[in-house]
This record gives sequence, C-alpha cells and structure tokens, in this order.
Amino acid sequence: MFSDLSKVRNIGISAHIDSGKTTLTERILFYTQRIREIHDVKGKDGVGATMDSMELERERGITIASAATYCQWDEHHINIIDTPGHVDFTIEVERSLRVLDGAVLVLCAVAGVQSQSLTVDRQMRRYKVPRLAFVNKADRSGANPYRVVEELKDKLKLNAVLMQLPIGLEAEHEGVVDLVEMRALYFEGDNGETIREDEIPEHMREAAEEKRNEIIEAASMFNDELLEAALEDNATPEQIHAGVRRGVLDLGLTPVFVGSAYKNKGVQPLLDAVVRYLPDPTEIENVALDLDDDEREFEVNVDPEQPLIALAFKLDEGRFGQLTYLRIYQGTLKKGDTIFNSRMSRDIRVGRLVRMHADEMEDIESAAAGDIVALFGIDCASGDTFTANRRAVAMSSIHVPEPVIHIAIKAKDRKTEGNVAKALARFVKEDPTFRTRVDEESAETIISGMGELHLDVYIERMKREYNAEVETGQPQVAYREAISRRAEFDYTHKKQTGGSGQYGRVAGYIEPFEAGDFEFVNEIRGGVIPTEFIPAVEKGFRAAMDKGKLIGFPVTGLRVCINDGAAHAVDSSDMAFQAAARGAFVETYSKSKPQILEPIMRVAVEGPGEFQGAFVRSVMQRRGVIVGTTESEGFVRVEADVPLSMMFGYSTDLRSSTQGKAEYTMEFAKYAPVPAEVSEELIKKYRNESDS
Amino acid sequence: MRRKEINERSPVRLLEASIHGGLGAGNIGVVVARHGVGKTAFLVGVALDDLMRGRKVLHVSLEESSERVRSFYDEIFSDLAHERELEDVWRVRLELERNRRIHCYLDGTFSIQKLRDAIYMNRDHGDFHPVAIMLDGFPFADTAEQEIDQLREIARELDAELWMTAVSHREDKTDESGIPAPLAGLVDKIDVILQMAHDTKAVHVSLLKDHDNPDVSDLRLALDPTTMLLRRER
Repeated sequence: MFSDLSKVRNIGISAHIDSGKTTLTERILFYTQRIREIHDVKGKDGVGATMDSMELERERGITIASAATYCQWDEHHINIIDTPGHVDFTIEVERSLRVLDGAVLVLCAVAGVQSQSLTVDRQMRRYKVPRLAFVNKADRSGANPYRVVEELKDKLKLNAVLMQLPIGLEAEHEGVVDLVEMRALYFEGDNGETIREDEIPEHMREAAEEKRNEIIEAASMFNDELLEAALEDNATPEQIHAGVRRGVLDLGLTPVFVGSAYKNKGVQPLLDAVVRYLPDPTEIENVALDLDDDEREFEVNVDPEQPLIALAFKLDEGRFGQLTYLRIYQGTLKKGDTIFNSRMSRDIRVGRLVRMHADEMEDIESAAAGDIVALFGIDCASGDTFTANRRAVAMSSIHVPEPVIHIAIKAKDRKTEGNVAKALARFVKEDPTFRTRVDEESAETIISGMGELHLDVYIERMKREYNAEVETGQPQVAYREAISRRAEFDYTHKKQTGGSGQYGRVAGYIEPFEAGDFEFVNEIRGGVIPTEFIPAVEKGFRAAMDKGKLIGFPVTGLRVCINDGAAHAVDSSDMAFQAAARGAFVETYSKSKPQILEPIMRVAVEGPGEFQGAFVRSVMQRRGVIVGTTESEGFVRVEADVPLSMMFGYSTDLRSSTQGKAEYTMEFAKYAPVPAEVSEELIKKYRNESDS
Repeated sequence: MRRKEINERSPVRLLEASIHGGLGAGNIGVVVARHGVGKTAFLVGVALDDLMRGRKVLHVSLEESSERVRSFYDEIFSDLAHERELEDVWRVRLELERNRRIHCYLDGTFSIQKLRDAIYMNRDHGDFHPVAIMLDGFPFADTAEQEIDQLREIARELDAELWMTAVSHREDKTDESGIPAPLAGLVDKIDVILQMAHDTKAVHVSLLKDHDNPDVSDLRLALDPTTMLLRRER
C-alpha cells in the first residue's frame, strides 16, 4: 500500500496510431525497470544490452495487451492506463479517461496534430484531464516540433509551451536542451540510458534564453512568487516548476517535450515531467452518484479510512485468466474483504488482489484510495461500482440508453462461429450499450448499439482480436411505435367449438404514457375478471407491444387500463385472457392514432469558421433541427438534432465538403415522431415486405 | 392549462400593455441591470412567450455557451410548464426547440457583420424567419451610435423585435431621466428601456423609456429569483 499518495500518478498515454505510443510505452517500461536493475546489481555494466529479443517480445506483449501497467520512477509509483486509440465514443473510452488523473499526449513531429488528436483532446477536455505533450519522432525526416507547438495552439487551443529545444533534428537529432535548468542533455549508451549533461551549444544559447522567458511568462500567470521573481529577473528552477505544475493542474498550460522514443532520446526527462507536473490522486476531484438519492452527485474522499468506493473500468482476458481492473476512489480494499456490486446488488468476496507490473504481477494484501489494482475471477461488467457496507453508489450513471441501430451479422464460415459467440459475450460485458440477440424469424444474429461507428468498431475488433470475420447486413434504425390518443376497447375472446373452450372478455382503454414504456392499471371492480387472470391480461398486452401494427417495431409509451370484463367458470384460462388482451390491443391500436418514432441524434459538427454555411446546409438537408451555433477563435461548432436514419454516410460527405478539416460527434438524444411522408413510406415498405 | 391560456395570462401581456402594444417589429428594447440580476432570464421569458405561440426566436449570446443558454430555456420552460400545468409538455417542448435557434460568439468573436451573415444564412438556407432576436451581452460600454443603427437595420429588414441586455455598475451615473450610464448617450437610438433591480424578495422590472411617450407608465412586473419566471406584482 502507498503510504504517501503524493507519490502516485495514474496516467494515460494517448496518441494517434502512428505517433509511436507503443514504442514510447516500451521505453518507459524499459527505463523504469532498468533503473531498478542498476540499483540491484550495482556496477555491473551492459546488463541492458544482454536483454534478449525474447524478453523484449514478452515486454511488448504486456505493453500492448495490458490495461494497466505499473512502474516506478524517482520513488514515484506510476500506473499507466491504456487509453484506446480509436476515435469512436464508446463507453469504454470514456471510462478509461475517467480513471486517469493526467495524460501524456503523444504527437508525431512530422504529421503534427491530426484529426484524431483533436478528438482525443476534446475527450480529455471533457473529463478535465491535465496533460503534457510529447513531440515524438524528432529524428524523422521532415520533423518540425516548432510547427507542432503552433498547431497545438491553433488547432487544439492549448496554451502550449515548449519546455525543451531539440538539439539537431532529423538524422542529426542528438538530445534536448532543458530550458528550466538551462543544460544540454545527451542520451548515450546503447539504449540511451546514460544521460550526459553539458553546456548548451553556443549557437543555441540565444534561442534558449528566449524560449525560457516564454516559459516563465506563461507559468508566472499561475504562481505569484514566480511572477515577482520574474520581474526581478531571478526566477529559480523550483519556482518555474511550481508555476508550470499549477498551470497544468488548472488546465491552463500544456508543457511540450521533445524527443525520439525509437532513438532513445528524451524519454527520461518526460518521466521526470510526469512526476513533476501531473497531479497525484488527491489533487483531482471525483464525484460519485448516490443511487438511493436519485443519482445525486457527491464528492469522493481520497482517504483510506473512509468506506470503499471502487470502479471496475476494464476487463481483461489475458494469459492469467479473467482480470478485472479497479480504480479505488475511496477507502481500502483488502484481500478476503466482501465487497458489494451496486449494479447487481450482489456481494462478492475478494479472493485474490494483484498489482500488474511491467512483466509480472504481484499479489498484494491490500490497496488504498488512489491506486489501480486487479481482481481475479470476479463476475462483473465493466463500469460496475464496488462499495463497502452494501452502499448503493455508482461512479457513473447506471441508466443505459436503449440501442438505436441494429445490424445483422453472419460468421464467414462455420469455423469462426465459435469465435463470434465468444467475442459477442465479451463485448456485452464490457459495454452496456452494446446488445446482441438472435432474431426469431430470420434466425440471424443481430447486434445493436449507439451508432454506425459504434458497431463498426466491434466488427473490426471481432476480426482483430478474435480472428472472427463476419458478413454484415444493412444497418437498421431502431424505430418505435407509440399511440397518440386515448381509445377504448371491449373485446371478447371466445372459442367454444370442440374440446375445452376458451373464454375471456376485457374492456377498458389505452392512452399515451410519457413517463416510461408501459404501465398497467387494474380498475376491475367486483371481480368480473377473477384476480388470478389479471397477470395474464397484462402479459397479453405486453406481448402484443413487441410488434406494432404500423411497421412491426416495438410499441412504447403505453398505459393500459382495464375496468370491465367477464369470465366463464369453465372455459376461462390464462391462455384465454392473454388472447383476449392481444385481441383488444389489435382492435384498439388503429383507433389510437399510432405514430412512428425515430431516434434523434444530437450531432455536433466542428471546424474552421469558413465552413459554417456548409455545416448548416449539411444538417438541414438531413431533416436536422439546428439547436445552437457557437463561434470561438476561428472555430465554429454547429449543434443539431438529426434523425439517425439520415446520418448514414455523413462522415464521407462532411469530409469531402470540408476537405477533411471538420469533424463531428453524435450521441443519442431522444425519440421523436417521424414526419408524415416518411411515415407513409415506412409503412408501405413494411407492407410490401410482409406480403412477399 | 393549454398553451394559449398561458400566453393570455402571461405577465408579458402586462409589459406589452405598459409599452403601448409591445416593442414592435424593427424596434430595439434594452433591459439594463447589474450583474447577476437576471437579464438573461428576462430575455428567455420574453422569448418563451413568442415560442409558445409557435413563433420563431433567435437567441444570440456573447457570454454563454449554447449549452448554457439551452439550459436556461429548459429550466425556465420546465418551471413554467409545471407552474401553469401545461398540457402536452413533450410536444410543446419539441416545437419550441424547432423554433428556437441559439448563436454564441465567445471570446470576443462577435461582430455585427457576422451576426448579419448568420441571420441571412439561416433565413436563406434554413427558412428561419425569427420574429424576435434576443441579443445578450452586447458591450454597450464601448458602442458607437452607428452600431445601434446597424442593429436596427437588421431588425427592420427582418421585421423582428430586437431585445438586448446592458450591464450597469454600482458606480454608474444616471442622467436626468434616470437612464444609467452605459445607455445614457444612446437613449434616442433605443425604443424601450427597462431596468431590473432586486430587493430582498423579488427582482423588480421598471420602465425607463417607452417609445416616444413622455409619460412612462408604472410597470408592475417582477422576476421571481428562484424560478426565474416573470410575474405580475401586486
């Protein structure tokens, strides 16, 4: 257990696929372990060089597959949490951002800020993650870290400040100038493990002075002591660090570091910066939701003495079996404890508690608030919250939206069917917005989710992680049907010819119900329908709602009230009353003015100001309703409510109309009635399909 | 209550009566108050009155993000719907959202030319013809007379009312007719001026200027500081 939380860092390394995230992570693990080895076997040179490729491979496997890796640097414990690189907005990505206290944004010195960096950065902004930037690949031809800094300012609107100057670029890249200490750093030895400090090269002195003043100027906004010292021109490195740190924590400053992970340059100073500038767990405010009090937010207390609150943020099926990664927000978790899964309302015993190292795992007895650990053999889903004292608390809302889009999938061949099933079972556990079912009529496997991209990601993951290729059908929008006015029913189900008869009469009304999917009201007086048949009536209505009469989609927002009926002493049964209810529904449905509802997405398109017109037109063409336009520093953001059915192919259209300079996000907003002409078309299409 | 009844009983009717039939298309009305008194809520209250009649409103903010502006509308609408027991809330809300458009210009990106461009783009490409423009956070302190003229021109061309907010400060001086400093030099350019000030119980809205009428009537209108709804004062 950590006695001193100020020495803990929970960070993520976030990057575009080609910026060298894996190499950087690898090097970080290498240097952090290497240091330990040198401590272990003092004076024995060349240990690093003897590390054979097998071991490197093994390390690589961990780096890529592990959800949380643990390493030590300068007496600090650093948990590195894997942040998925894909652009989509799955719950999984959001969750991994939640457990971070800080992040390193890795950028390529050649490619600079790419559209994905924009998305990643916006996500981090949303979750208020303090961050550093590392401009990697300074050794590549065409590398220009200065341009990348400008792009960080222009495109990401970050107050980016260069903390180092590269000594030589492209093939001449040798090291960096530390602008705080005003020293040149060269990375020597076979793996850059030896840092040689030297005087700043003569030709760089002037530029270094100038850049140092820029740091001081930017950092003094966050530290009065530094501001005073700067006025007298005698700012100390400690004062500068303090100012930069405050700036990072306030999300007002992004220090930028330079190097080449591949050429082993600049990684150790980056680790110093992680320890120096990124927050420890006590410096971040986290809120939990009280499920007993309508999800009221309250702040968790990073205190090992308080009752436990922990979040399962990732499930990992590695070579060690099923691992559940937990971030502990409050209290202490001990081996042998009984903890409570607030979503499933179930007690769970902590059998084995481990901490993941770079190349091994370590069994531990307990872990406290601020830490990241893993549990073995726990049945839970990603996103579940664990508490002590059976307290109903969640770290994230347990209300999961209904999927809005379906797609039929089919395994390419018999062999992959098993893998598909395995993959689906796993995804469902990870992501509550992802569902799967087998359609009764077509016997097809249907997957459902929150958008086209959302499902694409899972189809891609099936291929990549489970070697399961699938054929997909056309994406289908999840429509709903709903009635719009009250209508009466009085229906008798009667079958008295031959064998045992069936008899049941139900009467009452149906009406729109806005507060939920379904409500059943029993106003039967005097037992005209015997109490034992009432559940059968309710069941009959529910069953009928599965398929609306307009286009065969589920009916929602319905209140059924029964207030009269009749039963027969011999011929009435559960079956008869179920059939009566179904008949009553069919009879009354068309009288209640049913309508088709469609999922409406909240779409936000963002890009340079000159595209405002293009954005507005693009959503208007798609039956969109513009809700807001925001202009700020050359960027414009148009938010609109657009029917999901109109959003297919939007990314392609947007890319071509803006030369790839704009991007958009969308999330489910609500269900709303479709316009009359669309409704007619859908009904016609449904009739044709059912006829054929 | 049906929405028509809500409109009929709206305190905005009181305001209209006091300023002789309302602000009027092509005219400029300004509500002036200190920071945090509820100017935005006032604008939203007036806008909701139009929206409830199925008319279109453009809300322009120079201070708040569009999410924030939206939440103003959402909250005030919910309170209104709740208090007056509005029927068919869901459908009405949907229609309001369709008829309302929010434009935000943050970090000093506003210019009258940009506003003009955005309005015409919305009109020409989006078939959006607002009857009222709510312009919140316009910097009156450093405004030249001709800028007000340009704004009036937009209002006239669109045939819309233009409501604006102005911030006054404790140390601001008032002129002889009680108009606070940021508007003092611009009185002739503005048709209606309202002032908001709060005591312990409510925020009082008083009338400082009413078109060209020399006698300004006594307006008995207030804003409830908890629900931010406009009410008649007894």
